[in-house]
Amino acid sequence: MFWSVTLDLLKGFGMTLELFALTLLFALPLGLIICFGTMNRLGFTVRGKRICPISSLCKVFVWIIRGTPLMLQLIVIYYGPGLIGIGLLPRLTAVLIAFAINYACYFSEIYRGGIESIPQGQYEAGQVLGMTKSQTFFHVVLLQVIKRIVPPMGNEIITLVKDTSLARVIAVYEIIWTAQSYAKMHGLIWPMFYTGAFYLIFSALLTFLFGRLEKKLSYFKA
Amino acid sequence: MAILQVENLHKSYGKNEVLRGISFSMEEGEVLSIIGSSGSGKTTTLRCLTQLEHADSGIITVAGKRVFDPVGGMKLTKEEQRFNQLQFGMVFQQFNLFPQYTVLENVTLASKLHAKERGDYKANKKQIISEIEERAYDLLSRVGLSEKTGSYPCQLSGGQQQRVAIARALAMQPKILCFDEPTSALDPELTGEVLKVISSLAEQHTTMIIVTHEMSFARDVSDRILFMEKGQIAGDGTPEYVFGEGATDRMKAFIGAVANG
Repeated sequence: MFWSVTLDLLKGFGMTLELFALTLLFALPLGLIICFGTMNRLGFTVRGKRICPISSLCKVFVWIIRGTPLMLQLIVIYYGPGLIGIGLLPRLTAVLIAFAINYACYFSEIYRGGIESIPQGQYEAGQVLGMTKSQTFFHVVLLQVIKRIVPPMGNEIITLVKDTSLARVIAVYEIIWTAQSYAKMHGLIWPMFYTGAFYLIFSALLTFLFGRLEKKLSYFKA
Repeated sequence: MAILQVENLHKSYGKNEVLRGISFSMEEGEVLSIIGSSGSGKTTTLRCLTQLEHADSGIITVAGKRVFDPVGGMKLTKEEQRFNQLQFGMVFQQFNLFPQYTVLENVTLASKLHAKERGDYKANKKQIISEIEERAYDLLSRVGLSEKTGSYPCQLSGGQQQRVAIARALAMQPKILCFDEPTSALDPELTGEVLKVISSLAEQHTTMIIVTHEMSFARDVSDRILFMEKGQIAGDGTPEYVFGEGATDRMKAFIGAVANG
C-alpha cells in the first residue's frame, strides 16, 4: 500500500515539478519585460508633472495582479474566456498563464529593486570610460543586480513550489489532488500528510542551490 | 593653442543657478586646481566638462575642436558623444570601481570593449588583448599596485582603490584628467598615497583639473588655481598670486576657515 501510494504521489509530484519549471521559464523573462516597462521614462510633462503612460500602465497591472489572490486569477483565466464565448482554455495552459503572469509581477518588483539599488556612480564610471549604455548594463551592472536579487528570488521561487498546489482548483492533477483522491475514494488521510515530505525535500534542494549561488557570488561586495 | 577652452558655462537646477558663466582655458601639461566652498559649483563644473551633466549653455572646445555647444545648435551622434567623452578622464570621490572585477580587469574592461569594435579585432585578437593588458600592468605599476592586479576592490584600502581608479582613467589615454575631490572619502592617513600619485603625474606633465579641499596640496602641485564662489570664478592665477596678493577678502576668509577647520 505504502509503495503504491508513493508511486502515485510521485506521478502527481511530476506534474507539480512541470508546473514549477514551466512557470519559471515564462515568468523570469516576462518579469524583466514588466520591470523595464515600469521603469520606462517615455512620456510627456504636463504642468511640471511627468506622465509616463507605459510605466503607469505597468504599475496598474502589477497592482491588480499583486492585489488579488492567485486562486481568483486562476479561476478568472480558466472560466473567464467561456463567459465571453471564446471557450475554455486547456487546464494546464490556463494554470501556466495565471502562474506566469502572477510570478512575473512579483519578479518584476524584485528586479526593479535590484536595478535601482545599484549606485549611480557605476553608470557614470561606465559612461566616462566611453562604454555604451548596454555595455554598462551587461558588463558592469547586471552581475551586481543578480547578486542582490538572489536572496529575494530564492524566497519567491520556494513560494512557487507550494503555490503550484492551487492548480487543483481547476482539476490539474498535481500531488495534492492525488492525495485528495485517496481520501475521497479510500478514506485514507495519511497520503495527504505524506505529500509534505515531497515539498520539503524539493525545497531543501532549492535552498541548497540558492545557498551555493549566493556563496559563488560572495567573492565581491556590492 | 589651448588644450581646453570653456566659454560662459551656465547650469541651473530648477531655480537654483549653480553655474553663472564659467570661462577659462588651459594649456597642455598644465595642472589646474579648482577650490572653493561647498556649493560653489566646483564639482558641477567638472561634471559638465566630462558630460556627466548637461550644461544649459556655453561652449567647450578641446584641442581646437568644439565638443559642446547646445545653444549654437550643436547636435552630436551617440558615437561622437562617446568619442568626446573620452577626451576627459574622470576620477570620482567615491572611486566607483567595478566590484565584481579584479584590479586588472577594472583597468582593461573598457579598452577591451572598445577593441571589439575595431575592424581588425578578430584577426589580431591575441595581440590586441596582450597589448591592452601590458599597458594596464604598466599603469598599475606607476600607481604602485603591481602586487594587487588580481585583487578585488573589496580587498583594497580606500587609497589603493583610488589609485586603481586613477590607473583606470589613464588607460583611456584622455587628453585631460579630471579629479573630483579624490581624497575626500579617504581616511587622513590614506590621502597621502593618492596625492603622491597625482603629484607624480603632475611631474610628468599630465594635463589635469583637480577639484579639491586639500589647500596645501593644491598650492604645491598646481600651475594655476581657480577660486570659485557662488557659481562664478572669483580668483584665477598662480598659487602664489591667488593665495597671496590676489586674495580677496572672501578668499582669505575661505582659506582661513579651511586652515582652522
